[in-house]
Amino acid sequence: MGPLIDAIPLPYTDAVVVLGAAVLGLTCGVLGAFAVLRGRSLVGDAVAHAALPGVCVAFLLGGTKDVPLLLVGAGVAGVLGAVVMLAIERNTRIPADSAIGLVLSAFFSLGVVLLTYIAGSGDADQAGLESYLFGQAAGLLESDVAVMAAISAVSLAAVALTVRAMRVVLFDPRFGGSIGLPVRALEITSTVMLVIAVVIGVRMVGAILMVAMLIAPTVTARQLTDRLVPLLALAGVVGAAVGVAGAVGSTAAGLPTGPVIVLLALGIVLAAVLLAPRRGVLWRAGALLHRRRLAACDAALLAWHRDGELPARSVRALARRGWAEPGPAGPRPTAAGRAAIQEVLERRALWSAWLEHGTRLDLDDPREPGPHDLAAVLGPHRVSELRELAATNGAPR
Amino acid sequence: MTDTAVIVLTAALTGTACALLGPFLVLRRVALLGDAVSHAVLPGIVLVWLVAQTRAPLAVVAGAALFAVVCVLAIDALRATGLVPPDAAIGLVFPALFSLGVLGVTRYADGIHLDLDSTIYGEIAFVPFATVTVAGVPLARATVVLAVVVAVNLALVGLLWKELKATTFDPEFSRTVGLRPVLLSRLLLLAVAVTAVSAFEAVGAILVVTLLIVPAATAYLLTDRLAVMVAVAVAVSWVGAVAGNALATATDSAISGAMGLACTACFVLALLAAPRHGLVVRWIRRGRRRRPAAAA
Repeated sequence: MGPLIDAIPLPYTDAVVVLGAAVLGLTCGVLGAFAVLRGRSLVGDAVAHAALPGVCVAFLLGGTKDVPLLLVGAGVAGVLGAVVMLAIERNTRIPADSAIGLVLSAFFSLGVVLLTYIAGSGDADQAGLESYLFGQAAGLLESDVAVMAAISAVSLAAVALTVRAMRVVLFDPRFGGSIGLPVRALEITSTVMLVIAVVIGVRMVGAILMVAMLIAPTVTARQLTDRLVPLLALAGVVGAAVGVAGAVGSTAAGLPTGPVIVLLALGIVLAAVLLAPRRGVLWRAGALLHRRRLAACDAALLAWHRDGELPARSVRALARRGWAEPGPAGPRPTAAGRAAIQEVLERRALWSAWLEHGTRLDLDDPREPGPHDLAAVLGPHRVSELRELAATNGAPR
Repeated sequence: MTDTAVIVLTAALTGTACALLGPFLVLRRVALLGDAVSHAVLPGIVLVWLVAQTRAPLAVVAGAALFAVVCVLAIDALRATGLVPPDAAIGLVFPALFSLGVLGVTRYADGIHLDLDSTIYGEIAFVPFATVTVAGVPLARATVVLAVVVAVNLALVGLLWKELKATTFDPEFSRTVGLRPVLLSRLLLLAVAVTAVSAFEAVGAILVVTLLIVPAATAYLLTDRLAVMVAVAVAVSWVGAVAGNALATATDSAISGAMGLACTACFVLALLAAPRHGLVVRWIRRGRRRRPAAAA
């Protein structure tokens, strides 16, 4: 870790936090994808809460607030909670999010009861046990980052090795089972890796940040790609980038790191949801508006051609495109306008021909073309074939 | 009324209010909304502190309710884009609001003890001590508030029963027959926000989260009919309140935790012994299917 930390042009403690945030963001981004895509986004929340009884039991058994011991307790309880969650989801009709909620409620209730029991035992060392779960990035040690990096390396290697099997299990577990993949083992493996990352991460940055860091990178990446491997890579990059930017920004502004990272992550998600090419809300709205305008222009041009008169409300739209110009007796078509009218008429004729004779064309592309892209989808050769069919009214050539 | 009776009654009323809504949340795959709201109210508390410099319960609850509403509406808006799954929407919105609250605390209210535990999350054991006088009779404040919440939820679910049912199971169908699934979803979420915030103040967050999910999930294992599901969920929450209180008294432990465990015990029982969806029945059925195969 040493040389890496020295390479970051920041004071030592800040550099540790930045590196920790990068490692955590990368790991959470990649591992979180498996949770989000299976509808278990909030598994991090459940695991973070499920750790409480584990911490209590570890304290009761060990009798001290020894950090590695409590960490083991938290890890065991977290894994147990995750396995119970998977078992409920697999064997009953309870949906994934309710199974997560059940584990969260049951384990945390148990933790609360154990806490009162411990408090009643009169052990002076027990104070602050419940706040164990809520970490502070500023108190991050180089050794914490090293542990996280090791876990990160192992789990990323495991993901890289099993990504083909994971893809099947993720999107079609039944098919995976039928071709002999160990579906249950793979699910448990990916969940256990996630749990370990969450337990370590919660210690570092707190439960709430973990929840957001598992979800936000995947939701962002999902807007930008439809393929699993690019999604995993992108989620990792987004997670690490958000982590680094949040850590650097918060130290510069003197704010707590975790909340800044979370808000930054939400900002990126919102940007992706609004603006992502093809999928984004604004992108879609823009595309819809564009299509509506085109349709309105087509309708105006056709009406002009049919009635010899341009509808008043379309004059401006056509003038802006350079298709209409003012004349002595109202607007008249420019040369480009006449070409546009011709083009619309041809397009419509071609579409009519397609509807009537399209089935006779021998297409190698099974896609069904739409009225706007018909000529481009068919290609010049088939277009002339279609025209010929229409001209001979379908008679064999 | 003895203090114990007040505590059990308050818990049972909380359970009723939650169990009336819980089944819809479980069926709509937004079961963790209660948990989300429990974290998302922090900026509301900070805001009230900034504006009015007060930690009076009424003002704090109003501020919390405001952000609970912001939280559920933001989740609904994100989900409605169709780009973000509902559970991911929950997990994006509440950490952000919570973070906003934490930033507010560190920036403006540093040094003042302003955290969720001390301002909004009540402890059910203290319910009997805060009283109001209604028609000359001193009653526990939380009990009165929750009775009102139960009445409101009952009215909502009762009046909009078939609309809620249709939009829960088949939003597309309900849209075509002229119902308003978006509006109804928001109404339901608002009811959850209001219920959760009023109950946090009385009984604490974890018990509310538990009562929204566990009784409904238990009922989901026991029946295929929505009306029965709601009734069973309410019954489970009452059993949880009574048995949990007994457990807490017997073991001298936290009442809310014990009630949560009692509800969980009901769930485990249903999980094992439910007549159609229980594990025991499934094992027997699987055994029966295997036997002829083995004989052949």
